Amino acid sequence: MDRLEQELKQALARTQPRPDFSLRVSRAVEGRASVMPRWMATAAALVIVSGGSLAYREHQGRVAKEQVMTAMRITAVKLNHIQARVKGVRP
Amino acid sequence: MTASAIDGRTVGARVERTGCDFDELVRRHQSMVFSLAYHFLHDRETAEEVAQEVFLALHRHLAEIESPAHAEHWLRKVASQRSMDEFRRRKRRPQVALEVVTEPAAVMSSGDPILGEVLRRLVATLPEAPRMVMVMRYQEDLDPMEIAALLEMPLATVKSHLQRSLALLREKLERRGKGEL
Repeated sequence: MDRLEQELKQALARTQPRPDFSLRVSRAVEGRASVMPRWMATAAALVIVSGGSLAYREHQGRVAKEQVMTAMRITAVKLNHIQARVKGVRP
Repeated sequence: MTASAIDGRTVGARVERTGCDFDELVRRHQSMVFSLAYHFLHDRETAEEVAQEVFLALHRHLAEIESPAHAEHWLRKVASQRSMDEFRRRKRRPQVALEVVTEPAAVMSSGDPILGEVLRRLVATLPEAPRMVMVMRYQEDLDPMEIAALLEMPLATVKSHLQRSLALLREKLERRGKGEL
């Protein structure tokens, strides 16, 4: 190794980053770990949307059922009324 | 048992198996990773950013690391790749043109800080591939075969980069009246 190479070795010797470097790396790692991965966020959004959609459909079903029951109750009352009147006009 | 306790036990088992604790790897190799980026990019701020990215990547790939020697090799390789990526991303040739490299003021002795700075700047003006070869050779003290394997370059190319870069540096220094080198 000649003199230039020796000088290069000294000039390019390893040097330290700022003293808080390792602390900043640890913080960056912690920061990254606390962020939810994209796939997990997408999956969570899908669960929420599909769950919400299911609940809404169940709610619509319950409302429709109640409407049918109300209609049947009204029909039954009307039929009873008609039956009574039919009985009343018999000779 | 809590999830963090299980995680801790898993990490502990892996550290015992591989001898690779992340914090310890950062402490042990931060100067190597930072210096590779710094000597290649000649910019402390950017070099620290690149070094941080390299360690974040190590953290993501820690499960694949098999031993401390593997970690060192991995860090060297990724640090060189990330430094070159950063250089390409910036799309500018280093920093300082040869014409404006500071003229050393006095007779130089071995380890002269002014000569050191001149040499770092001259190295920073080399083209990308020869520059990384020079950093690997004189910072990391790797032989041409190791450099060829690390940078995935033919051995003859590595040797050629070294010879031509040394000749170029010698010529530039001679032109500045530092022929004794």
